[in-house]
Amino acid sequence: MAKKRYVVQYPEDVSMCAGCNSCEVVCALLHDGVVSPKQRRIFVERDTVMFMHKIHTCRQCGVCYNKCPKKDTALCVDENGIYYINRDECIGCGLCVKACPFTPKRIQMDSSEPKPKAIKCDLCRTRPEGPACMEFCQVKCLGFSDEPVPEPEVKKRGGLF
Amino acid sequence: MEKMYGYAGKILRINLTNKTTENVPITDYVPKYIGGRSIANKIFWDEVPAGIKAFDPENKLIYMTGPTTATGIPSGGRTVFTSISPNSLPEQYSWSGMGGWFGSELKFAGYDGIIIEGAAEEPTRIFIENDKVEFLSADDVWGQYVHETQEMLEEIHGKDVKSFVIGPAGENLIRIASITTANDNAAAKSGFGAVMGSKKLKAVTVRGTGTIVPADIDHLLELRKTMNTPPMRLNPVLHMDKCEAGPNIQLPVEGGLKQTQVSCSFGCNQHCNRMFVDVKSGTSFKKKNRVEKCVGIFAMDFTENCGWMPNQTFITEKNHDAPCKTLSGDMDPPDMTDEHAAELFKWRPADTVNFWKGDFDKGNVMMDLCNQYGIDKWDVTVWLFPWLSMGQQEGVFEDIDFGMPIDVESEEFVRYILDMITYRKGYYGNLLAEGMARAIRVMGKEKFGDTIYHGRYSNCIPGLQLDIPISLETAWGGSFHWQGRGYQSAIDIAGWLPASLELMSSPRDMQTVAHFHATWDYYEAVKDDPYHNRLVPQEAIECENRAEVKDSITSCEWQAPDHYWPEMECEMYETATGFKMSLDELNEMAVRSKLLMRAIHIRNFGRDRDLEVNAVFPGLTYPDSQGITTSWEDWNDVVDLYYEERGWDKKTGWPTRECYEKVGLKEVADELETIGKLPM
Repeated sequence: MAKKRYVVQYPEDVSMCAGCNSCEVVCALLHDGVVSPKQRRIFVERDTVMFMHKIHTCRQCGVCYNKCPKKDTALCVDENGIYYINRDECIGCGLCVKACPFTPKRIQMDSSEPKPKAIKCDLCRTRPEGPACMEFCQVKCLGFSDEPVPEPEVKKRGGLF
Repeated sequence: MEKMYGYAGKILRINLTNKTTENVPITDYVPKYIGGRSIANKIFWDEVPAGIKAFDPENKLIYMTGPTTATGIPSGGRTVFTSISPNSLPEQYSWSGMGGWFGSELKFAGYDGIIIEGAAEEPTRIFIENDKVEFLSADDVWGQYVHETQEMLEEIHGKDVKSFVIGPAGENLIRIASITTANDNAAAKSGFGAVMGSKKLKAVTVRGTGTIVPADIDHLLELRKTMNTPPMRLNPVLHMDKCEAGPNIQLPVEGGLKQTQVSCSFGCNQHCNRMFVDVKSGTSFKKKNRVEKCVGIFAMDFTENCGWMPNQTFITEKNHDAPCKTLSGDMDPPDMTDEHAAELFKWRPADTVNFWKGDFDKGNVMMDLCNQYGIDKWDVTVWLFPWLSMGQQEGVFEDIDFGMPIDVESEEFVRYILDMITYRKGYYGNLLAEGMARAIRVMGKEKFGDTIYHGRYSNCIPGLQLDIPISLETAWGGSFHWQGRGYQSAIDIAGWLPASLELMSSPRDMQTVAHFHATWDYYEAVKDDPYHNRLVPQEAIECENRAEVKDSITSCEWQAPDHYWPEMECEMYETATGFKMSLDELNEMAVRSKLLMRAIHIRNFGRDRDLEVNAVFPGLTYPDSQGITTSWEDWNDVVDLYYEERGWDKKTGWPTRECYEKVGLKEVADELETIGKLPM
């Protein structure tokens, strides 16, 4: 069976997350046109004191999909195995959120509208450039789970210090 | 109120005396004052009369974000505090910038800023969760170190909250106390941690779940890739055997060290902060990760001070890297096709100072203690400990008993002296807690400040001994910074003279928000006689105005301005808010903000030409790395040019009515006239 595709954070020895939150920001901007902690499909768990930030992503496991009462209409799966929300069809029942086995929940309810809708990572499936979080990550610490981890450039570049 | 692009919409007023809050509409200030320091200046001008001291309940601590904060526009995570500075000598209205994630979280909670007024009777902390604001007892965290306080607040309120806090130094009213938030981001200049302490305010914690909407998302995404062209490359933890403890110092570290780069604030597209991984802590047996910018590296090794090369200050179109890339090690290779390349990259060596030898662990302990106590690393690294080292070598402390023999090479002594100051232990702990400038005046400035250190040698002119005093003091209770003396002395006069003009009209060190930069053409034009060339004050004013912009929009010292993209901040503002902003309008906003601070200094703190000219001049009588000193006549000549370029009265240093009215501050001119502080 082919390896599942989702976004992963590389280990620190490959690329250290700079903690800038760019991934969350561009995700919310491109999907929802806003910046908000409640409009996230990727989750940076900030480490205030030690600065080793952990990035949580949807593993595209499909547990939410299987619990959706409008499966294949509201919560769908495409030919690449990516689970995505059809916003117009979502009834906001929240069963998908309850079903998500991960902490933090990788599928959330967007309560910014009168009728809440589920939101989750869809790997920016309709975006030719691919996932925005990966494109805009300034330290390239995010990659696809089914692709090889890159070789880090271990030599320091030029600078005064 | 209709939703505004960029802004959250209101400022939260917190009265600690009455335990009351009030929402102030941001439209009371916007768009005339665009955010950050410009709004804070207006609030202070309107609300704090003359006669108030730093630790009076009537002093206000104002915290402001900018319209770019939380929008995802790079560097918009920077924020600013203003208040009366207890560290300034004399006390006066000042500011301090801070990165981190608090500002964006505050905006998600619905606030563009906070006005903190009054004083609590008992240790207090504030918890903000969207519309809910709670006054809580700080008994649970009072006395705790900075990191532990932050961790405890996250354990109490949840991992997702953001806080700014003070450590024991702020609680004990140490005049160099900082306010700290995540990633060791601190508002360390001005001693505002002690202002929080005087109000018995330990921490402000926030959780926000709202949204911020930028006006132009397409352009925002473009800015993320174009502002100082982020390197977009892997950022591995590097395993090294030597620490670059200064441009010329490769300090061997037994067992090696690990370092990487991190960002300082929400939404930035750069990672200029160096982070040391698994280093010795000053307060725990556990290893720590510690974030460092520039100066703290001298805690590791201070045998030489900081050298300089012209490209750090003077730039050409072919060779101009933003400082953030200089610090992260992501500089583009020099373009040697540049006709000025040979001069731009000609290293001017640091002075030999011999303050202390290399010790990686001791340096980390010193810096971690500064973080944990919540005190300004700058004053500790480049003033307090150099003073102890030089004074010891010159024998001035022979009759002084600090309770432990002075030994700046010893980790035990570092721990002892910082503990003594933070907890005001004994006569000298209590005295040094008042800050270096005040303490030295009590001890006797002639001996304990002005004694010449005989161990400093220029490496620009080999063999030249530089007669610099043991106290590296410049104006306003601060120490030299890019002024050709002290920590960085190799910079050319064409750089340190305008930096000194910036310092003159400021209440504090300007080289954290207005590092002097100009083009190579400027350098060529002024280098032979900078005292009598208008380009010097013109470029100083340009840097000052850009500082007002970056503290108002907000953006970062290391990213802005870009000399070859002058409209960058206009684009940032327009992208965030949707309001058009021309370069002329941006400049007018900057002048308005600068004039408001000037008016506050004139009305509340008696600022005039005599005060500021005499505050800066003494430091300039000492030699730079090339042995250059400044005469009283030359200094006054360049000050005359500065006032002329500003349009201020040369006799008093006060702006004219015309200056105020030109930027819409007629009411300020009127008030100053009634108290006789407009030029005749």
